[in-house]
Amino acid sequence: MKSLASLSLWRIIILILPLVSLGQTFEYGWPDNYDKPPQCVDIPVDLRLCQGVGYHQMLLPNLLEHESMAEVKQQAGSWVPLLHKNCDPGTQLLLCSLFAPVCMERPIYPCRRLCENVRDGCSPIMAAFGFPWPHILTCDKFPQDDMCINTPNDTSTSEPNGHPPVCPPCDNEMKMDVILDHMCASEFAIKTKIQEVKRENMDRKVTLQKKKRTIKMGTLKKKDLKKLTLYLKNGADCPCTQLDNTRNTYLIMGRKVDKQYLLTGIHKWDKSNREFKKTMKKLKSHKCPAYENVFK
Amino acid sequence: MSRKTRRWIFHIFLCLGIIYLKIGGFSSVVALGASIICNKIPGLAPRQRTICQSRPDAIIVIGEGAQMGINECQFQFKNGRWNCSALGERTVFGKELKVGSKEAAFTYAIIAAGVAHAITAACTQGTLSGCGCDKEKQGFYNQEEGWKWGGCSADIRYGLSFSKVFLDAREIKQNARTLMNLHNNEVGRKILEKNMRLECKCHGVSGSCTTKTCWTTLPKFRQLGYILKERYNHAVHVEPVRASRNKRPAFLKVKKPYSYRKPMDTDLVYIEKSPNYCEADPVTGSMGTQGRICNKTAQHTNGCDLMCCGRGYNTHQYSRVWQCNCKFLWCCYVKCNTCSERTEVYTCK
Repeated sequence: MKSLASLSLWRIIILILPLVSLGQTFEYGWPDNYDKPPQCVDIPVDLRLCQGVGYHQMLLPNLLEHESMAEVKQQAGSWVPLLHKNCDPGTQLLLCSLFAPVCMERPIYPCRRLCENVRDGCSPIMAAFGFPWPHILTCDKFPQDDMCINTPNDTSTSEPNGHPPVCPPCDNEMKMDVILDHMCASEFAIKTKIQEVKRENMDRKVTLQKKKRTIKMGTLKKKDLKKLTLYLKNGADCPCTQLDNTRNTYLIMGRKVDKQYLLTGIHKWDKSNREFKKTMKKLKSHKCPAYENVFK
Repeated sequence: MSRKTRRWIFHIFLCLGIIYLKIGGFSSVVALGASIICNKIPGLAPRQRTICQSRPDAIIVIGEGAQMGINECQFQFKNGRWNCSALGERTVFGKELKVGSKEAAFTYAIIAAGVAHAITAACTQGTLSGCGCDKEKQGFYNQEEGWKWGGCSADIRYGLSFSKVFLDAREIKQNARTLMNLHNNEVGRKILEKNMRLECKCHGVSGSCTTKTCWTTLPKFRQLGYILKERYNHAVHVEPVRASRNKRPAFLKVKKPYSYRKPMDTDLVYIEKSPNYCEADPVTGSMGTQGRICNKTAQHTNGCDLMCCGRGYNTHQYSRVWQCNCKFLWCCYVKCNTCSERTEVYTCK
């Protein structure tokens, strides 16, 4: 495959003598894995991260060295909630150029500018959920020339001046897909009421009422559940109508980062809402992407 | 002469046999063909014949591993007078170098490493029967560093032992050259074993390292080439030592007056000084440098003065054409321009 790529790029017209070999080291090449050469496969329907990305076939293993489709799906699953945030128009293109790279003779990486735009637009939202910008998406390692993937209509000139303050855990759409994706990305989910909301440095501290019902236990223990206190990360001043109303019952999702429990999603427990009711019903049979099986 | 002819025929038949096995593919024809081919190869050592008959799939992998070793050898020495080629017919195991030189030492080591590497890789991929992943590690948790064994850890011990059994079986005679070959084979395998590395995957949420799986994996073969090239540059000149009553050499020692030090187990060893490789010589197996491409402006080994041994060089002009200014266009194809320039190439007279 690599020699084929070399042949397609070089044509040597020799008048007298054949040349043994001209050294041409590409800056970007296949991840040199000795197991198997990359193959073109259809993007599966249940790889939801990359539906509608603009092409239909991908390379396996991909550019993140995921070797099986099960591994690709498992790792891509945790990125789907980020797509719902619409933090940058190039988010899906950046992620899918690595998770489900286009089938070409040589790998095509995302452009550094595309990566930097998505990083600058999305890392504040990821930080709200306790996720740093990951090492696998470090922008410095991506190319800056023309042999890379950029947004089709490069809108580098239209810079949005001034973001309205946003509470990522609070502004989720009341939609089944969105709630289920966030449920899978969260470690636990409970039904409860809010007792108190207080500012604490840059965060907002949410104290819950004693009466709780567990929707998803996850890694949470019963002992911890009793005195559970959640933090809205970097959310001291952002608008969150749910936290302003302590009379309602809420579906609250979260995860543990170091010793803090972070709020990752909050929805009003609204039985009169058809979408919410449908989601709760679906939740009983819904299966999150399995983590353990892929790496056994 | 009859011994040389027999050895030559052995290499030819082995090469043809491997080609035949590849063409035949995996079927009963392979088993039948393997049996016929293995029995008809003259000069094959008894143990090698047994391996050949019982493991036709392994013979294919052995051939590929040896070829990988030869390719790496040619890469490492591409700028030298000796570029890992020898007079005579080229076979998958390479022509045996007549002189017990540093170059022979490198060749034997890189082929032994190549065979072990290829066997281990085939086990990992599951293309070889009777071996697979290193099961001892599966599922265990590394407490101190916080990761878990998983994936498919390469079973290097199987590859090493297979390479040893098959390649060392060629060295039947008890003489200095045999001892040298056995030692250098082992050097290649030891370098491979020492350079096995740990590869890890972070597969927590968003690719974080909260969940991490690690496995042992083979080093890149180029890395082995560089290491062995360094050993070649510091190869140790040795001589045989005979036991008191036996006339046959028992072991090798460093060739120095009053020294009885043995070479280290990762030292490449040689028993004869290298020829200068300037002229073609059937006796030493030297190909000579006539017709070799050299660099007019370079001062190193591929410079024309050094490469051509002072005989001078010829100049040839040609037009080089290549694709340039490539762009990826959405979605999805690559568009390039075509560039060309007149350039010169120099070859030794």
